[in-house]
Amino acid sequence: MLGKAYFAIGLAVILLFGASSFLGWELGTPSREVLPADARGPNGYRSFHFWHYGFHGGK
Amino acid sequence: MTALTANCPSCGAPVNFKSGSSIVVICAYCRTAVARTDRELRDIGRVAEIVETGSPLQLGLQGTWRAVNFELTGRAQMGHEAGGVWDEWYATFANGSTGWLAEAQGRFYLTFLQKIDRNVIPPPERLQLGMSVSSIPGLTPPIVAEIGFAQALGASGEIPYELTPGRTFYYADLSGSGNMFATIDFSDTPPSVYTGQLVTLAELGLADARAAEREARMVTAVSLSCPNCGGPLALHAPDRTERVGCPNCNSLIDVNQGKLSFLKSLGAGKYQPDIPVGAVAEFEGANYLVLGFVVRSVEIEGLRYFWSEYLLYHPHIGFRWLVNSDNHWSFVQAVAPGEVSDEGNRVQFHGKSFRIFQDAPARVEYVMGEFYWKVEVGEEVLAADYVKPPEMLSREVTRNPPREGSKVETGEVNWSLGRYVPRKEIEKKFNVRLQPPSNVAPNQPFLYKSIYPYWAVLVAILFIVGLFTLVVSGSNDVMTRNFSFEPLQNAEATQVAFSDPFELVARRNIRVQATSAVSNSWIYVAGDFINDDTGLVQTFELPVEYYYGVEDGENWAEGSQSARTLLSALPAGKYTLRLETQWGPQFNAPANITIKIDQGHTSFFNFLMALLVISIVPLGIGFWQFNFERRRWSESMFGGSSSSSSDD
Repeated sequence: MLGKAYFAIGLAVILLFGASSFLGWELGTPSREVLPADARGPNGYRSFHFWHYGFHGGK
Repeated sequence: MTALTANCPSCGAPVNFKSGSSIVVICAYCRTAVARTDRELRDIGRVAEIVETGSPLQLGLQGTWRAVNFELTGRAQMGHEAGGVWDEWYATFANGSTGWLAEAQGRFYLTFLQKIDRNVIPPPERLQLGMSVSSIPGLTPPIVAEIGFAQALGASGEIPYELTPGRTFYYADLSGSGNMFATIDFSDTPPSVYTGQLVTLAELGLADARAAEREARMVTAVSLSCPNCGGPLALHAPDRTERVGCPNCNSLIDVNQGKLSFLKSLGAGKYQPDIPVGAVAEFEGANYLVLGFVVRSVEIEGLRYFWSEYLLYHPHIGFRWLVNSDNHWSFVQAVAPGEVSDEGNRVQFHGKSFRIFQDAPARVEYVMGEFYWKVEVGEEVLAADYVKPPEMLSREVTRNPPREGSKVETGEVNWSLGRYVPRKEIEKKFNVRLQPPSNVAPNQPFLYKSIYPYWAVLVAILFIVGLFTLVVSGSNDVMTRNFSFEPLQNAEATQVAFSDPFELVARRNIRVQATSAVSNSWIYVAGDFINDDTGLVQTFELPVEYYYGVEDGENWAEGSQSARTLLSALPAGKYTLRLETQWGPQFNAPANITIKIDQGHTSFFNFLMALLVISIVPLGIGFWQFNFERRRWSESMFGGSSSSSSDD
């Protein structure tokens, strides 16, 4: 019983892996935002507050 | 010689030599053993009445062995030195050959006299239990399973040798692989050798022999009175019982052909069986009667460990055991010693390897009910257990000192195979409540190892799927561009740059790689993919840093001049890349960074994550099993390590 339940779950995990490969999903991808229309102009983009999420790099 | 009908020289009744090879016929009227010679019939004395053993066989019974018909024409009954009798049935075959069908403890052995050089047979005093005798033919040289001392007790029908009532003799039983069986009869000089095999009544065409009578014996019992207390004493297998424990006064009673005699008191209520003597339960498709209860013990490192055994009986099948050790239960049956090959700390049986678990003298502490041998409180056997869960092979060796004036040490080696039975199953079979075990039994199976084959199948499927995705996926370069940045005004400042628009396709992951010639410095990139049509923004971060130096005379380096990240696929469309950068510590110097974007990169991370997820449960169970085995072997004399998973 345990073995069959485990096998079913394992198959689901493999299906998920197959789907991720087929659909191009990557674990750990940061969340997405939608840029308001007024941040976009005909020649590019204005600076907008949500881009400033801070810097963490360097020593 | 030929068939012959004549008159008994003692009483004149007709005696009939059906088989040409018969030497002696027992007169059915006066029980005189009548021997024939070339000239005359001779009275060689009276033989005792045959003791009823509940045998399914009888004189005149006809069967078939290897397409040759035979008839049971004679019966000799022998007394065993440990008590009890066994029957030797003389079989006369239609092709003129003769054989012996021996019957003991519900098992049957068909043997034929072998014409081998009997002078190469070792004398009984040179035989040892367990030694192989290569001069006797077999698939493998048979081993000595028993060296015994017997007495001819009684006979009926025709006998092919001059049977002398009361005559004693040594014999050796040998057992080989493939159920091979042999007997050396030392009553002859040189000794006679009979070889054959363990057979079933079905193989002899005798499966239905006296079946109804035997079935009836299952439910009936002989009622007697205890010679010590006068209380009622029921014998369920009176034909085979040698000892019985009185349930009324807890005394041990000797049974000798139906005559009871008090032996000793066993101590009131010292041990109580969990399953009542007389209970019936089904095992392997047959109903067994609990005939007896015995408590045994071993002493290991100064401590005495006890367990109990229940003797089970079925009139068709014979005897089995139900063993309760530390509230773990096993169903046990005897196996032919020749089927077991002893290899020191391991034994092989039917292709399986069993590892030694315990090896110590076992002592009988208490008995209750009926037994087919003259059981004694205090009797000891050398017992060794070998395990391969859920099975356990047990070897018991009994040795008797030589008889007075003899150098022959008798004894026997018995092997039995026990199979673990869950406690709940025993409770259900006998309708009793039993104590749960608190430790791991030597042959207790680990119940969850069936998950490993599932795991192996899942890993194989995962690799196939991974290989398939590797084959069908193809990467494509999207953009490679160098970005140059002017010096920053201060350490906290950033610079922003935008790429030209580029196309991304759907359902393909995105790999971004940043490369910069940092040297004991860093550059940090915060990037955004911006969909020019929908405003969808996918952010990412790429820190590029590389440091090196010499410390304590040794070179060191850490970091890299490039960094990469993988992002999930974005909807197909036109995108612009926005980069916001910061660098140091030389922030007042210009910086360069090359950004490369491609799609459809094969990601091993997802594969490894899937492998990890499907492996978590088997790894946990593997750890559990490791501890289970460690607990099992911690109670073994031969524990040492728990690296016994291969034994499962």
